[in-house]
Amino acid sequence: MAITEERPEILELESGDTSPSTGAFARPTNASGWRAWVFTVDHKKIGIMYGAVAMFWFLWGGIEALLIRAQLFTPDGTVLTAEQYNQIFTMHGTTMVFLVIMPLAAAFANYVVPLQIGARDVAFPRMNALGLWIFVFGGLFLNLSWFLGGGPDGGWFAYAPNTGVTFSPGAGMDFYALGLQIAGIASLVGAINLIVTILNMRAPGMTLLRMPVFTWMIFVVQLLLLFALPVITVALILLSFDRTFDANFFNVAMGADPLLWQHLFWIFGHPEVYILILPSFGIVSETLPVFSRKPLFGYSVIVISGAAIGFMGWGVWAHHMFVSGLGPVGVAAFSATTMFIAVPTGVKILNWIATMWGGNLKFTVPMMFSISLVSMFTIGGLSGVMHSVAPADTQQTDTYFIVAHFHYVLFGGALMGLFAGMYYWWPKAFGYKLNESLGKWHFWILLVGFNMTFGPMHIVGLQGMARRHSRYGPEDGFDFWNAVVSIGAFIILIGMIVFAVNIVRTWLGYKAGTVPQEPADPWDGRTIEWAIPCPTPEHNFDYVPVITDVDDFWHKKYQPDENGKLRKVADGNEIAQRGDQNPHLPSPSYWPIVLASALPLIALGLIYNLWISGVGLLLLLGSMYGWSLEPATDPDAGHGEHADDHGPDDVDPPGDEDSEVAEEAPVV
Amino acid sequence: MSARIRTSTEVNIRKMHKSQSVMSRLLRLIPLLFGTVLIASCASGRIDPTDPVGENAKQIDGIMRLSGYMATAVGIFVAAAVIIVIVKFRERPDDDPNELPEQIHGNRKAELTWTLIPVVMLVFLAIVTIPTVFDLSSKSDGRTIKVEGQQWWWQFSYDVDEDGVSDIVTANEIVIPAGEEINLDIRSNDVIHSFWIPQLNGKRDAVPGRVHSWRISSPVPGIFYGECTEFCGLSHANMQMRAVVLSDEDYSQWVQEQLTPSTIPTAAAAKSGYDLFGRHCVSCHVVNGVYESAADGNANLTSGYAPNLTHLMTRTSFAGSIFELYEEDGSVNIADLKEWIRNAPGQKPARAENRQGMPSFAETLSDNELDDLVTYLMTLGGPPPLMPS
Repeated sequence: MAITEERPEILELESGDTSPSTGAFARPTNASGWRAWVFTVDHKKIGIMYGAVAMFWFLWGGIEALLIRAQLFTPDGTVLTAEQYNQIFTMHGTTMVFLVIMPLAAAFANYVVPLQIGARDVAFPRMNALGLWIFVFGGLFLNLSWFLGGGPDGGWFAYAPNTGVTFSPGAGMDFYALGLQIAGIASLVGAINLIVTILNMRAPGMTLLRMPVFTWMIFVVQLLLLFALPVITVALILLSFDRTFDANFFNVAMGADPLLWQHLFWIFGHPEVYILILPSFGIVSETLPVFSRKPLFGYSVIVISGAAIGFMGWGVWAHHMFVSGLGPVGVAAFSATTMFIAVPTGVKILNWIATMWGGNLKFTVPMMFSISLVSMFTIGGLSGVMHSVAPADTQQTDTYFIVAHFHYVLFGGALMGLFAGMYYWWPKAFGYKLNESLGKWHFWILLVGFNMTFGPMHIVGLQGMARRHSRYGPEDGFDFWNAVVSIGAFIILIGMIVFAVNIVRTWLGYKAGTVPQEPADPWDGRTIEWAIPCPTPEHNFDYVPVITDVDDFWHKKYQPDENGKLRKVADGNEIAQRGDQNPHLPSPSYWPIVLASALPLIALGLIYNLWISGVGLLLLLGSMYGWSLEPATDPDAGHGEHADDHGPDDVDPPGDEDSEVAEEAPVV
Repeated sequence: MSARIRTSTEVNIRKMHKSQSVMSRLLRLIPLLFGTVLIASCASGRIDPTDPVGENAKQIDGIMRLSGYMATAVGIFVAAAVIIVIVKFRERPDDDPNELPEQIHGNRKAELTWTLIPVVMLVFLAIVTIPTVFDLSSKSDGRTIKVEGQQWWWQFSYDVDEDGVSDIVTANEIVIPAGEEINLDIRSNDVIHSFWIPQLNGKRDAVPGRVHSWRISSPVPGIFYGECTEFCGLSHANMQMRAVVLSDEDYSQWVQEQLTPSTIPTAAAAKSGYDLFGRHCVSCHVVNGVYESAADGNANLTSGYAPNLTHLMTRTSFAGSIFELYEEDGSVNIADLKEWIRNAPGQKPARAENRQGMPSFAETLSDNELDDLVTYLMTLGGPPPLMPS
């Protein structure tokens, strides 16, 4: 059933104690130390690394944000020059979108999705590692620009022709175009991998409409990525060709229309907004039922509206261009489509509230972050409806009102949801919970700081304060609220320091034995990732559960008694799998990281000297060759009778439920 | 950037602060805090979309308020629901952990209701919005002014005799008669800019290679402030503009003055300045009647244009409208003008070596020469028909 990488018969090596599987290098075998991470193909380690790297960039992008706020603390700020300011706001946006929220979602997707569908790993484990390392190198490459003459200075949206060599002569925009190209490959690799995984590797009985909502939303996001990334790829190639080879795609003098870039960028850029927010919608659709002790209100409606958002997200891009000169017909059409994408989004919000309504709410930290997503995202959504009124948008666009709007969506929505996910799945990933009281400090400081930072931006925005201005004057009347905003930004910093302290303290406490190890099911969870121990054993599942319901694990714990009243019949921790099997797993490999490292070399060469590209190309081809010769599973690392196992579906589940699956009609 | 003239609004704010400090002595901390927040939130500066004057701006304001009220109503509803949920359905210490709340999987009727209500609200909003979109993009039968954005200032051209050739070319301040819906043909000579004078209308991008139509109007004379709102490179923050709205009579007089070409000055200092202008400035700047070599564009600037200075002194500001040309007492702001010519990149970020913005003359011109040059510039027309209040 699972599509896994086939081992080429022809390359089967004789089993010997020293025979290298690739001819040139011995395979990495370390089970501990840094090598166990760098060469791993395990989706859990990859997920954790995605998260860790994204949090590093969050710190980096946060510092950029604080510099921006320091500059705007007072009128005529002198902290940054106009040049530095332009570079920093460009990279703040680029970093937060491409290096923070997208990879944080990838972290959860990688870690959680295989566990929620009962798989042992993703479909293509080495490609998964490749995606991670391409993302890591892409982020480093993008930021290398700071040390080689200055960052990109054209805004994250990079409107042509301001990004051409004529107007942006430094190398910054080259790093932008090529860096995002590299990061895009990472997302594309990940998207294909997860789509194949979700479609093919679900546990028996898990029909699409029994799939956990988080997995559903990740599935929708991967489809969006699959179709959106090629568009930005094309746009970035055109930009790179203009800059590197003097092409004329955006050269007005040669008859180009700069609106081409805007259409391409936003056809990618608007689905991108849903790429950023839907994973968090998925996360809270998991946490709200768990901590309300009620099933999700309208599972199918939430799933369908998520898919509808993904679909309709393709038809609204030009609302970013209401003042670009589209003409009234285009503006009116996109105004209307933008209004109506609010419908499925609003349905989700109300269904989440209905999920909590009548429940028994436990205010754990993940629950608090989830509720703050529901309320803060609503504010961002409603100001979004205000922008959809195109005439009003002609006053609002490119002011701080828009900045307020999308920070309520992306910080109040996406990030709050991702924090909820961190607190929620932390025990599954690391074996212990983050400290709840430090977590509450983190939450409240963050919530106050967030609203202080982005709330007043609505006011100064409506008063006419324009975005991307490196200064405002004392005569503009923006001083007071800008000071408040800047103070709020530093309160967010304090909140994040509390989070960092929480991570370090609980980790040290866990090692010292003062923070307890959590059992398999610490939250009374509903989905099958809670049916395996905390932390997740390396092989995930001892045997594949057979799924008979949405929230399958919960239904194993609660069943109706003779009066039809639901009763707890089993303790989750007792019926959970023990995690004591030792099946055969995909082997670690050098090739993903080696192959990934070739891409920044090729890109660097395009900026400085094509010979460097040549070296990178050789490395790329060499590692592709090595990769293709290397069996997915090291024949020398076999474990007795299961040596040929690739996926968990090969492992027999206890009993013969397999045959009954078809008869148990799904209740959806 | 020292001598930005304080506006009446700011003076009002200062007055308010004064009365507020009296209040604070009486009422102590909380009212002080409240008062500060209130005043600061009401304080608006020169750019002020919340006080629409032009017909289009008023129309936009109306529809914006409507959408704002609808959004607020929905927001309050959702907030109330969330608060009720948090208060009413929280876990209590005496709850039986084995007792489950009622397990509701959904309710088609409820879900249908909260799908249809937003649909109805949004259909209503769309019905109001769409005609407005078409209204705002139609042309008026008023006169047309050509607007050109370039890094980092605005050029406005008037074809007075409607022969297809611009007769008046001015910079940073668009002068229009009150009570007339003026058509704008908005263009760009380099990157994308956005034309925005919020009290008169919303914004419209200036895209190179395209001509975008837009309208502005004001029923009353006055000065209205605006700025570029599409990120246009290094000095995007310093690309401001003004609309000077005049009575019909003042406007005709202004047009007549602008149509008069400049002449060679006779006074010694001004003549010396005139000669210096001929040596150092004419490759970019035009003075109608005397220096017109750069009138059809020039190679020293990527955009091809620098501000036409024929009637410089009839304007109230210079350098992308970031400096006042006159002091509050009506005298010329000589200090800033001189400093600007001496070292423009030091006053406003620019990249002269990349043909973006005015270069520095600190090495080229002596202090006396700068004085002469300023003296010459001061002979170029003036005073403005309307001063900032």
